[in-house]
Amino acid sequence: MSATRLVIVDGVRTPFSKMGTDLAHLGADELGRIAVSALLARTGIDPAIIDEVIFGCVAQPADAANVARVIALRAGIPEHVPAITVHRNCASGCEAITQAQEKMLAGRGSIFVVGGTESMSQVPLLFTMRAAQKFAKLSRAKSMWQRIGAMAAFRPSDFTPRIGLQLGLTDPVCGLNMGETAEVLAREFGLSRELQDAFAVESHARALAARDKIAEEICPVYPTLNVERARGKTSGTVMEDNGPRKDQTLEILGKLRPVFEKRTGTVTAGNSSQITDGAVALLVMTEQKATEMALTPLGILTGYAYAGCDPTRMGLGPVFAIAKAEEVTGLTTDHADLIEINEAFAAQVLAVLKCLRSDEFAAKFLRRSRHVGKISKERLNVNGGAIALGHPVGATGARLALTSLKELARRQAKRALVSLCVGGGQGAALWLERPQL
Amino acid sequence: MTTTLECEVTREQADQMTQSPITPALIRSEITDDQICVVTFDRPDSAANIFDRGALEQLHQQLDSIAADSRVRGIIFASGKKSIFITGADLHSISKCDDPRELEALIHLGQTVFDRIAGLRVPTIAAIHGACVGGGYELCLACNYRIATFDKATKIGLPETQLGILPAWGGSTRLPRLIGLPKALDVILGGKTLAPKQALKLGMVDELVHREYLLDYARSVLLKSNTKLMRRKVPLMVRLSNTRIAARLISKKVQPQLHKKTRGHYPALPKALEVVTEGITRSFPGSLELERRAIVELAQSSTARNLVRVFFLQERAKKLTVGVDTGKTPVRHVAVIGAGVMGAGIAQWSAAREIQVLLRDVNPEQVGKGMSSIAKLLQEGVKRRVFTPVEARAAMDRVVPMAADVPLRKVDIIIEAAVEKMDLKKQIFRRLDELAGLKTILATNTSALSVSELAAATLRPERVVGIHFFNPVHRMQLVEVVVGKQTSPEVVSRAVRFVQQLGKLPVVVNDSPGFLVNRILMPYLIEAGHLFENGASVENIDESMLEFGMPMGPLRLIDEVGVDVSNHVAETISAHFSPRLRTPSVLGSMLNDGLLGRKSSRGYYLHDKKSRGTDVNPHVDKYQKGTSAAALSRDELRSRMVFLMINEAARCLEEGVVSEPADVDFGMIMGTGFAPFRGGPLRFADEVGIPQIAEEMYKLAHKGEAQFAPCRLLELMAARQEKFYAATRI
Repeated sequence: MSATRLVIVDGVRTPFSKMGTDLAHLGADELGRIAVSALLARTGIDPAIIDEVIFGCVAQPADAANVARVIALRAGIPEHVPAITVHRNCASGCEAITQAQEKMLAGRGSIFVVGGTESMSQVPLLFTMRAAQKFAKLSRAKSMWQRIGAMAAFRPSDFTPRIGLQLGLTDPVCGLNMGETAEVLAREFGLSRELQDAFAVESHARALAARDKIAEEICPVYPTLNVERARGKTSGTVMEDNGPRKDQTLEILGKLRPVFEKRTGTVTAGNSSQITDGAVALLVMTEQKATEMALTPLGILTGYAYAGCDPTRMGLGPVFAIAKAEEVTGLTTDHADLIEINEAFAAQVLAVLKCLRSDEFAAKFLRRSRHVGKISKERLNVNGGAIALGHPVGATGARLALTSLKELARRQAKRALVSLCVGGGQGAALWLERPQL
Repeated sequence: MTTTLECEVTREQADQMTQSPITPALIRSEITDDQICVVTFDRPDSAANIFDRGALEQLHQQLDSIAADSRVRGIIFASGKKSIFITGADLHSISKCDDPRELEALIHLGQTVFDRIAGLRVPTIAAIHGACVGGGYELCLACNYRIATFDKATKIGLPETQLGILPAWGGSTRLPRLIGLPKALDVILGGKTLAPKQALKLGMVDELVHREYLLDYARSVLLKSNTKLMRRKVPLMVRLSNTRIAARLISKKVQPQLHKKTRGHYPALPKALEVVTEGITRSFPGSLELERRAIVELAQSSTARNLVRVFFLQERAKKLTVGVDTGKTPVRHVAVIGAGVMGAGIAQWSAAREIQVLLRDVNPEQVGKGMSSIAKLLQEGVKRRVFTPVEARAAMDRVVPMAADVPLRKVDIIIEAAVEKMDLKKQIFRRLDELAGLKTILATNTSALSVSELAAATLRPERVVGIHFFNPVHRMQLVEVVVGKQTSPEVVSRAVRFVQQLGKLPVVVNDSPGFLVNRILMPYLIEAGHLFENGASVENIDESMLEFGMPMGPLRLIDEVGVDVSNHVAETISAHFSPRLRTPSVLGSMLNDGLLGRKSSRGYYLHDKKSRGTDVNPHVDKYQKGTSAAALSRDELRSRMVFLMINEAARCLEEGVVSEPADVDFGMIMGTGFAPFRGGPLRFADEVGIPQIAEEMYKLAHKGEAQFAPCRLLELMAARQEKFYAATRI
C-alpha cells in the first residue's frame, strides 16, 4: 500500500444553482462549509486527524479572505488544522486535489479535506480606482471644508461600478473575454452554431436523465441563518441542481442571440456553461491511511498534468494537458472508460475533440507524430456537463472528479480522465482509477 | 513596596478578636506606593464572596483603619475570586432569621458600613469583575465610581425581588439617585441581573475595561481625577425623574400593572415600588429606614421563604452529582433524532452551548423545517441580545442537518425526539444501537413512554436513559433525567452532567408512567377537562388557578401544549392508572373537530392575533355534557384541581419516583411554573395542613368521585399529623 498515492475516500457537493437563484444568498464560505460539514458527517471521520484543508476558489469573498480557513473552522474542523485557498482559475478544484497529492509526496500530511467553492452571485461590484481614491480622500477629510471639497470631486461616472464577474472572466493578457476566446475557436475550427447547440441539447438531456444518479453526490442545502448578508432571512431546502432544462431543442436554443459577437457570433448563453453557485468537498488520504482505517475509497489519483497554451485559445488547454499527462502516465484516451471535459463552451469542447484526433495539430503544437486520441460521445460527459449543470469556477474541477468516480463505480469500470480548460491559457488533466478490490 | 494593613488591624483589634470566635481574614487591604488603598474581598475556602455579619464587621474595621491613615488618597474595592465579585448577602442568614430584631440589626449593620464608604473623605472606586449582585452591587453603589470588566462572568444587578425581598443595604435608595427612577424601578422590580454592556448603558457602571487592566485602570482614574470623582453632577434627566411629582406619577402608573401581573401574590414588588418612589422624596436616612422596615416585613412572609427555598433548590440542581463520578469530560457531540419542535429545540439549545449537533430526520422536508426553526430561534436571540451575530452563526454552523443514515460512532449522546410511538421508537433504537459507538449513550426525550421497555429493544439497555426536555426547550429550565430499570449509574451521572453542561436544571426520576412532572400535571389537567365537561366555564376554571398563582390556567395550557399531545399523554397515563384517571372525552371530541389549540388557532381559546382578553372560543360550549360542576365556586374548582396534584405528588413519593419531597416541589415549580411562592405542591400541603386536606378529599370521595380518595401516604401522614418537610429545614 502506497504511502504517497492519493485516494479519494468520499465526496459530496451542494446542489448547483444558477446565479441569482436558490443559493444566491449564501457566500462561498457558507457553501463550502455546508459541503464540508456534510462530508464529515457522512464519512464519520474525526476532524482532528485531518492534516490540512485545501479549497479552490476563484473569486474569494471580500469578507472571508483565505476562504478555506473560514470554511474549515465553520465546519467544526479543530483550529490546529491549517487551511489554504488555491487558485488556478477554472481548475482550482483540481488544484486542491493535486496539491494534496504533492504534499503527500513531500511527506507533509496524509489526510486532507479538499474541494472548491464559488458564489458567482456574490462576486462584488467594484468602484474604479479613481473613485476609490476620492473615497479615501473623503474619509481622510477632517474639516467641514475639506469634506465638502472631497465630495465635490465626485463625478457621476465614479458611481458606475465595475462588474467583478466580468473582470474575472476577462483575460488581462490577451484582453479577450472567455466567451470571445470560444468565438475564436468556433471561427478557426469551423464549428457551426447548430453543432454547438446540438452539443448543448445533449448535455441537458444527459443531465436530466441522470438526475437520480447525480442526487447521490448532492447534500441538500437546508435553511440557515445568514446574519450579515440576508438579515436572518431563511429560505427553503434546496435539494437539486436547477440548471438542467427540460425541453431544450435546437429550435429553442437557435432563438438565442450571440452574447460576445452580436453580428456573426455563434456562442450564446445556451451553448455556454451556466454561471452558477456551488461547492464540492472531498476527503482524500494516502492509500496507506485508507487501508489502516479500513476505508474503501472511491478512487485513486494515478496521474495528472497541467499545461500552458495560448491565452487567446485557452479552450484548447485540455489537449495540451491530456498529451502531457500521457507522457507522465503512459495512458492514452483509449485507456479511459469515462472522460470528462469541462463544458466551458460547446465550441471549446468540440474544438478540443477535433484537435485531439488531429495528426496535424499534434505535429504542429505537441511535437508528436500521431494524434492524441479519438473520443467517442459514449464515453464523454455521460451525465451531462457544465452547460446543463453550471460551472461554479472554483468548484467544477472537484465536481468532475467526484462525478466521474461515482459513475465508474456504477459501471464497474476502471479508469476516468478528467480535463478542464483554464482561463489564462492552461489545461488540466487528471487520471483517476477505481481501486481493485 | 506595599504595606499590609491587615496585620495592624489584627494587632489593634486583638482584644476584641479574642472575645468572639476568630473569623479568618475575609478582606485584605494594601496601600501601594501611590497611596491608593486596594481592598480585596477574598473569602478563604470558598469560590464566592458573600456578606454575612462577620464580613461586614471586618469591612467596618478595615474602613476605620483606612480612614485613620492620612496617607491614603483613594480606595479601590476589588475581589480576589476568579469569576465572582460579591454575590450579596448570605441568604441563609436572612431566611433562617426568625427574630425580626436580629434581621433588622444585620440590615442596619450593612447600611452603616456602606454609609461609611459613601462618607469617606477620599474617592472610592468599585473594580468589578465577576458576579456583582445584591449586596455586592449595593457596595458598589456606595462608591464614587464603578468600573467593570467586559468579561462574560461579569453580571451586575439587584435580584432581591425575585427572592421576595428588596434591596435594603441602600440599593433601593442609591440606585434611583444614580440612574433615575424609571430605570431603577426597571432593575429593582425586574430583579434583573445584567450583562456589562447593558449595565453600562443604564449607567449602573461608569466604564468597562478588559480584565487584565481593571486594577491599573481604576488606579489611574483615581490618580488622574481624584477630587472630580467626589463632585460628580447628577444628570438633568435623573433630577427631573426623581422629583416628588414624577415619583407619584410613576408609582400610580406602575402599581396597577404590578397588581395585574402578580395578582398580589408577590408582595415584594409593590413594597419595593413603594420604598423606591417614597424614598426618593425623603432624606437619605429616611429612605434607608424605609428599606429596613420593608425587608423585615417581607422576610417574615412565607412567600419570601419559599422563593429563597426555590433559589436554593436551583443551586442544588446546578451542583447535583449522582452515583459514580464520571469526571468532568464535557459532552462535545450529540445527535438529535427527529427534527420536530422538540428535536429542533434541543439541537438549537445544545449548539448554542458549543456542542456539535447532528440533526437527523428521515424526511428532508422535516429536516428543513427543523433548521428553519433553529435559525429563527437564534435570530430572535440576536434581537434580544442573548447572542451576538457571530455567536448565532457559530451555533447555526454547529448543527449539521442530515436526512440519511450516517456513522454515529463518535457521538457522545444520541437524543431521540421522534413521534411518540413505541414501535417506531424501538425500531429507531435498534438502528441507533448499530450505528452508535460502544460508549455512546442512547437517550430518549419521550414524555410518557417507558424508558425501560425502549431500552430492552437494544443490546445496551444499561446505556439507555431518558432525558426529557420540556417545551419550549429554550425557555424551560427543567430536564427530567429518567432512570430505566437497567440504566447504569455511570450513564445517569453522565446524563445529569450533560443537562448541567447545557445550563439546565436536572431532576432525577425513576422510570414510571409520565415520570414526575407530567404524572402530577395530568390528573390536574384531566380534572380541568371533567369540570369543563360538567358545566364549569373556561373562565372560571382558568381564573381559579391563575388566582392560585399558576402562570397559566389548565385549559389554556392544554391549548398551548396542543390538544392532540395532551390527549395522547392523558391516554398513556390514564391507561396505567385506570380507573382512577380517565381521559375526559372532550379532548377526543375537540381532536376530531380539528380543535388542536394554538397550532390550529382554535381550542378552548381562539388564538388569532387579536387581543388576549376575552378570547374564549364560543363554540366549545357544545362539548359540555353535564351541569354538576356549573355551580361550583372558583374556590371549589381550585381545591379540586390542587388536591389532585397533591395526591399525585404524594403517590410519586410513595412509589419512589423521586427520592424526596424537594424533588417533587422543584420539578413542579421549574417544569410547570407551579406557583413558586407557594413552594410547590407538597410545601403547600404542609402549609395548609395535611389532615385538613385529607378530610376535604374524603368528603369529595364520599360524594362518589373516587379520584379524590387520598393515597396511602397522605392517609398515614394525616393520621399521624406529619408534614412532608421537617419543621426547621429549608
